[in-house]
Amino acid sequence: MTRAERPGHNTPAPGAPLADPGSSARPDETSVRWQRPSPLLLRARRIQAGLVTGPIALLAGLLLGTGLGLGAAGVVAERFLARRVAAWGYAERNDDLMVRRGVLIRRESVIPYGRMQFIDVTAGPVERSLGLATLRMHTAAAASDARIPGLERAAAGKLRDNLAALGEAQATGL
Amino acid sequence: MTHLPPDRLPVPLPPDSGLAPLPPDGPQATPGDAAKLPRTEREASWHRLHPLSPLVRAGRHLVTIGTLVLVLFFANRKGTGSDLVVNLILVALVLAGGAVSWLVTRWQVADGVLRIETGLVRRQSLRFPLSQVQAIDVVQTGLARVLGLAELRLRMAGADSSGGRLASLPLADAEQLRRRLLSMARAPGAVAAGGPAVTAGGPAVTAGGPVAPPGTEGASGQADDDGADGDGAADDAQERLLFRVRPGRLAAAIIMSRTGAIAAIVIAAMATAVALTGQPGVVASFLPFGLGIVLAVWRQFNGEYGTVVAAAADGLRLRSGLVQTTAETIRPGRVQAVRLVEPLVWRAFGWCRLEVDVAGPRQRRENRSESQRLRALIPVGSRADAAQMIGELLRAQPVPSQRAPRSARWKAPLTYHFLAWGSDDRYVVASRGRVCRKTTWVPLEKVQSVRWVQGPVQRRLGLASVRLDVAGKRVTASIGDREAAEAHEILRRLPGLASNARKRAQPA
Repeated sequence: MTRAERPGHNTPAPGAPLADPGSSARPDETSVRWQRPSPLLLRARRIQAGLVTGPIALLAGLLLGTGLGLGAAGVVAERFLARRVAAWGYAERNDDLMVRRGVLIRRESVIPYGRMQFIDVTAGPVERSLGLATLRMHTAAAASDARIPGLERAAAGKLRDNLAALGEAQATGL
Repeated sequence: MTHLPPDRLPVPLPPDSGLAPLPPDGPQATPGDAAKLPRTEREASWHRLHPLSPLVRAGRHLVTIGTLVLVLFFANRKGTGSDLVVNLILVALVLAGGAVSWLVTRWQVADGVLRIETGLVRRQSLRFPLSQVQAIDVVQTGLARVLGLAELRLRMAGADSSGGRLASLPLADAEQLRRRLLSMARAPGAVAAGGPAVTAGGPAVTAGGPVAPPGTEGASGQADDDGADGDGAADDAQERLLFRVRPGRLAAAIIMSRTGAIAAIVIAAMATAVALTGQPGVVASFLPFGLGIVLAVWRQFNGEYGTVVAAAADGLRLRSGLVQTTAETIRPGRVQAVRLVEPLVWRAFGWCRLEVDVAGPRQRRENRSESQRLRALIPVGSRADAAQMIGELLRAQPVPSQRAPRSARWKAPLTYHFLAWGSDDRYVVASRGRVCRKTTWVPLEKVQSVRWVQGPVQRRLGLASVRLDVAGKRVTASIGDREAAEAHEILRRLPGLASNARKRAQPA
């Protein structure tokens, strides 16, 4: 991933189509209108990472000096988090939903609407406090993974209803 | 599944009592509804399992219990014997529990739905819509065979539910019921229309010849041959034999498989240990290993012995087993994936294994090891056998002709040899594996989702993989290590192809 792809805080508003900077590496960039999760997702991830790495950093800090430990952890976490959050994207196409994610291992899933078995919307404590939710689609195949984290709650509800309606319209048997 | 509130725990009815059965609409319906229901129809009445079924169900544990009692008995032989009494009471309690569970279990077929009610404290009412059935198995454990009983297993598509089980019924009844349920599954509308469809199931039963378990050699061969050249008087009995495994080859194949290799290693280790220490007692420390290996080998041999595959009107019929026999029917159009496995050693003999994946529960509690492998249509057979069977299963048979690009060699130096894929407008085929070559065919209309994956090494080499998920247990057709541009193209094209295939398959 190139430097240019690193997102700043000027991430476009969710829902707004955007041209992906790293388009050459991704399939189908030109025709797909990618949508992004809420920019608040980055903050949610920071909090979650902080809750996990904080105690570890403190422990390491006891040996190395608290400031150094915390700082190092923060820098590392920030770099990873920003890139990972920026990698999420989804696109509603005519017959299927595309979801992409991942930095080191990049994944891109195509799930036909007709194949969705059920959709659930979950929100953990951190996400809830920021008004976010995670949408997850399930197909009959256990291996298909399609989730979109960090959607604003209203948007998640709308997307869920939308997908459910599309799924019902195009439903097919196993 | 519905839980009855405790105050509505139904007192188990005697089988033939004239009392009104529970309303079929489940516990929330009032008893008044029951009166309106036609009670005369045979299929709407509640049935019980065979009275001996608790014994069969406990069969697996009976050995354990017996051993436990014996051990306890010998451990405190000098005791007063009161311990023995306690143990016997325990055993009696277990058996009584079985009897109670038999008393409170009943089943019914009505309106294209199989309903099972079971449980005393935790009352369960299970409904299985027959149109959703993926496959129906008739399983006979060793004890059940002695008693002439069989268990009926319904396999539904859900990945986590264990499906419906009717354990146990008399074998003939189980076969008859299986046929009836399958015919209902094929034509749910006809069943909903009324009873005639079910009563018409009567004559088919008398014609149902080929049900003999394959363990009884002569009889099964006879029955199958009869079925194969049956004159078509009863379409249910008409079968076309597709494959029969050779016992000798099966034994040889298992010895030369991974299980066999592990067994050889354990035996060698035992021999070495004995030779080094000079004490035969060392073997005792290998006992758990040894037992595990023996069990694994036995389970595989027992499960795949005498596999017979035949094509019939209601799907592919599979029968297998030495002590515990299984008869399974895979309905047409329910196959999610076909996989051809060719291990290194088997390749030298031209042998291979053909497996099918059917949507269903991922793991069944009591036979986890069995369900981790896919159902083998051909446990071991020649390439010609496999080719014939694949021709039977798939309408077209694309070959994995497109090899991976040369740069994939750096990422998968061994696998590269067999890394290839191919497709036509119905199927995608992908092959991989060096030691154990696996070729997977996936019907496009069964594809649940398509994934494009690129790991860090692949990115450096300009490669990417595309995976096709199906609703089976764990089969994923992986089009591995294609050039990135090609992978993009596949990802762009496949959903459309799959959607076309679905549309084509839909009206049928």
